Amino acid sequence: MTGRRRVAITGIGLVTPVGNDAASTWRAVCAGTSGAAPIASFDASGFPTRIAAEVKGFDPAVITAPNKLVKYANRSHRFALAAAEEAMRDAAIAPTPGDSERWGCAVGTGMMGVAFGDLAALQRHSAPAGELDAHALLDDDTAADPVAFCRSQSTAGVALLTRRFGIRGYATSVHTACASGGQALGTALKLIRRGAVDRVLAGGFDSMVNPVGLAGFCLLSAVSSDNDTPERASRPFDATRNGFVLGEGAGFLVLEEWSSARARGAHVYAELAGDGNSLSSYRITDSPPDGDGPIQSMRAALADAGAHPEDIDYINAHGTSTGMNDRSESAAIRAVFGGDANRISVSSTKSTMGHLIAAAGAVEIAICALAIERATMPVNANYHVPDPDCDLNLVVGDARRQPVRMTLSNSFGFGGSNSCVALRHPDHVDAP
Amino acid sequence: MLAAIVAGRSAIGAIGGWDTRDWPVTIAAEITDFNARELVDDRKLHKFIRRTDFFGIYAGDRAAAEAGFDAHRVSLDSAAAAAFADRSGCYVGSGGGAFENQYDYLPLLAEAHGELPAFGAKLAETVNPMWLLRTLPNNVLCHVGIRNRLKGSNACITNHSVGGSLAVIEAAEALAQGEADRALAIGHETPIEPQNVLYYDRCGLLAADALRPFDQARSGSVFGEGAGALALETPASLASRGGVARGEVLGGGHVCEAKGLLAIRDDGDGTARAIELALADAGLDRADVAMIVAHGNGTPQSDASEARAILRVFGTTCPPVTAFKWAIGHLIAAAGIVEATIALAALRAKVVPGIATLTELDPACAGLPVSRETRTVAGDVALVLCRGFAGTDAALVVRALGP
Repeated sequence: MTGRRRVAITGIGLVTPVGNDAASTWRAVCAGTSGAAPIASFDASGFPTRIAAEVKGFDPAVITAPNKLVKYANRSHRFALAAAEEAMRDAAIAPTPGDSERWGCAVGTGMMGVAFGDLAALQRHSAPAGELDAHALLDDDTAADPVAFCRSQSTAGVALLTRRFGIRGYATSVHTACASGGQALGTALKLIRRGAVDRVLAGGFDSMVNPVGLAGFCLLSAVSSDNDTPERASRPFDATRNGFVLGEGAGFLVLEEWSSARARGAHVYAELAGDGNSLSSYRITDSPPDGDGPIQSMRAALADAGAHPEDIDYINAHGTSTGMNDRSESAAIRAVFGGDANRISVSSTKSTMGHLIAAAGAVEIAICALAIERATMPVNANYHVPDPDCDLNLVVGDARRQPVRMTLSNSFGFGGSNSCVALRHPDHVDAP
Repeated sequence: MLAAIVAGRSAIGAIGGWDTRDWPVTIAAEITDFNARELVDDRKLHKFIRRTDFFGIYAGDRAAAEAGFDAHRVSLDSAAAAAFADRSGCYVGSGGGAFENQYDYLPLLAEAHGELPAFGAKLAETVNPMWLLRTLPNNVLCHVGIRNRLKGSNACITNHSVGGSLAVIEAAEALAQGEADRALAIGHETPIEPQNVLYYDRCGLLAADALRPFDQARSGSVFGEGAGALALETPASLASRGGVARGEVLGGGHVCEAKGLLAIRDDGDGTARAIELALADAGLDRADVAMIVAHGNGTPQSDASEARAILRVFGTTCPPVTAFKWAIGHLIAAAGIVEATIALAALRAKVVPGIATLTELDPACAGLPVSRETRTVAGDVALVLCRGFAGTDAALVVRALGP
């Protein structure tokens, strides 16, 4: 480990279904306040699932970027801009013309580019009977709108962020479904370690709470249809769990090379200490019941951080509240931690925030950083009926107040990519 | 492919995917002899993947097979085979979303007359239940992983045209940092869709007749489609199984110009910085570069700024510069990796292929050593440049090894 560059988390910004900034989100995940409710942003009355965890009362005026930039931002990009601004403000640093080449940007980007309104308009004009008439596209306003085109691009988010903050180093978008946010943070960690850049604005953003996004998950029967009790629908690890609750939002972190962060007197939440990344290579949606895949990502994160099972105090689980994920993840935690799993506190904050898909990993890594800083572990809400296949030390009832030396944050995606990111308390870095 | 390019043959022709009468753009480099069964033998998989995934999976499978990954793994006992899989990674540059992905919903929208309650109620009977899985940007990563038992570090990079180059850079870094012993790097994309063609044309990015890199008469790019893949392995792992390297990734650099969604700088700032980072990463001097494969997408601003960047770094001692998109089109996320593989083949054949559509060098590119004619190459190192939306620039340095 000697000589390897370390990475400090010095800024956090969140826009989530339980709060439009980091402070309010943190209060909610500790109090167990659910962000799930009947869908308000469109008429979901005909869908099998009519609930989601939507961002509420989001005021685009919090974005200080110029309007000529913001007009290229769709809903999830606006969450990203707001969360990134909060993170940069929090870190009290920004790229200057002198160091902008030494700043990077790594983001987990959602898969939904095309806005539902644009698709509906295109259908009315160019596919009135349901089949696309390519010739009709020639005078279709939607197909002639460069702004609709720009917003739809997978690079739109990273383009808006780098432009907004003047970031001129390594800039990248990644997408491994629900592991995207975790993989973006892992990428950022490696960029600083290998010296490609000294600071990174890293995070994830997504919004699939729209008719097409919700439809995709309904068709797979992946989302809970507990429409009458939305606040209890997401219950990770509970024996009665029946699917996840679709969320939306963004999480961003400012990462800095450790010694330069310390030298400027920055507030350091935690060390971004290790990244473990694996591919289950099993099936496209299913996790292996024995935890194969997630086991390797957790072990790799521990090894990368120079840590051992006994060093970990808290795991922010992927914990989607689907039958399969929670069973597989529990098996993986048991396999990696053995007897230590009885001691290590585990919670899935998806129990309150819902599943933020490509943003989930980034938001949950931010929650881990706050857990370390505040010596408090957020709750796994809605847990009532134990599942023998999910035999974990869950944070049930109240948030647990105790010093947190190290945490892991798990994110596993459709397609089999697994991300595990380790964080460490700053005192355990600086102490000899 | 190299032979065709050296012979001056281009794959660009009339678009066959739809009737382009009255269209502002009617040309692309399409893959016309598409045979799904030949590309992906597992027919059950076909309903889970899109056209772009067929190409990506095929390229990934071929690279893994040529490298002999699978043949070696099956020769091991079960514990060693499991360890081999855990130390095998996969890095993919993917086009991400596409417009046709959403068209599965057009019949439902028509049937529901745009009314959302009816849209929701008729959903299950109208839309393919696998829709979401078919449209995942990381499908190639998933299925190449399953098919080739790759279980190690991985990424799916959705960063427009630099995606394929970044897949190579990140795979090489994973090996250098000890995260994996071998990895596939793949880039794939199929951008030739009606709606996409109209958007690119509206943004002034497409040519109506031909792609002419650095030519005075150039008027834009032309879409191509397909995939490329490279199997990378650490020297130790390769030696332990008696394999032979055909090339080497020496270094890479990647930066952003921070100009916004499509805009780029006229001075070539990003390209110049990416080249300098890549050379430093490779530990090479400018004089070590024997050939430069430019991005050369044929748009007026990109080519002029790229020429400026190359000349800024290499000055009057610039090695021969060429470009391949005039022949194969712009493969977007696949461009960088496909062009890197052609560069390796050219180095082995000791040729710098000419640019057959180059008639008169644009004065804005004056001094750039490009040619219509095939030239010989005096060395084994190529610099491959790539530029994408969001003002991103990637540079890759590769060396050809062996005959």
